[in-house]
Amino acid sequence: MSPIAHEEVQAIAQEVFAAMIDGEPESLVPWPDAGTGSDAVVAWVDVHGPWLGRASLETSTPAAHELARALLSMEADETVPREDVVDALGELANVVGGNVKALLPEHGTLGLPNVADRLPDGHLAAAVQRVPLAWRGHPFVVTVWEVAEPTVSVREGER
Amino acid sequence: MRALVIDDSRTMRRIVRATLAAFGYEVHEAEHGQAALDLLEGGLEVDLACVDWNMPVLDGLQFVTRVRANPLWRAVTLVMVTTESEHSQIVRALAAGAHEYVIKPFTADALREKLELLGLVPEPVAAGGVA
Repeated sequence: MSPIAHEEVQAIAQEVFAAMIDGEPESLVPWPDAGTGSDAVVAWVDVHGPWLGRASLETSTPAAHELARALLSMEADETVPREDVVDALGELANVVGGNVKALLPEHGTLGLPNVADRLPDGHLAAAVQRVPLAWRGHPFVVTVWEVAEPTVSVREGER
Repeated sequence: MRALVIDDSRTMRRIVRATLAAFGYEVHEAEHGQAALDLLEGGLEVDLACVDWNMPVLDGLQFVTRVRANPLWRAVTLVMVTTESEHSQIVRALAAGAHEYVIKPFTADALREKLELLGLVPEPVAAGGVA
């Protein structure tokens, strides 16, 4: 049984969006799980320690750009440099992952965030919570993964 | 007053910078602990350092330890701003010499309250600001 409940993951994501992006928890709402499409962006952080796992955020590329603009207080029509989109999504994953880690019965350490168009090969974890949400009509999926054995390949610092 | 924001995330540096600037701070930035130490060793004088924990090269806890070990930097107030929210981590940071601890995500009001507790009373801030 997962030490982390679905409702806890959703509450963390909503708190993060309320504090860092929109100022209100209602901006991130439950959504039917239809995936994020072919132009997905995934940000994740790994948790090392007695519990081995990963927290990932997945959204569409347009949503990632809009999120970066919101985080950086940019105008709606401003172009966001790719490195800013990567950094913004990575930081969101870092904050969500850090708060997920705090729910664990035994404390571990948090890796540095990574951002890519998909999770890396050798991703041997099983999803223990998948929380499909929507932000401003865009899909935003938070997933907590658990690794049974310490064999997950971690590529840190690839911002 | 002068502040140094130390975080490997450019996004978070911008958010904290904007928040502190709204409080009336002149803000400098460093992308990790070693870059921050280089700035201090180069003569930058700050009243406040907001320090992330998990960073490459030199992490926040190591930075706090190094700053506290140097009497020249005794006046620098150190605030950890981090996702590390377990009680044991907070205790470690405070034992190493951090003065306060702010857990991400945080609001501008939460950061202002911490600074007020430290006597680093900021200027009035516009309503509704978040970080």
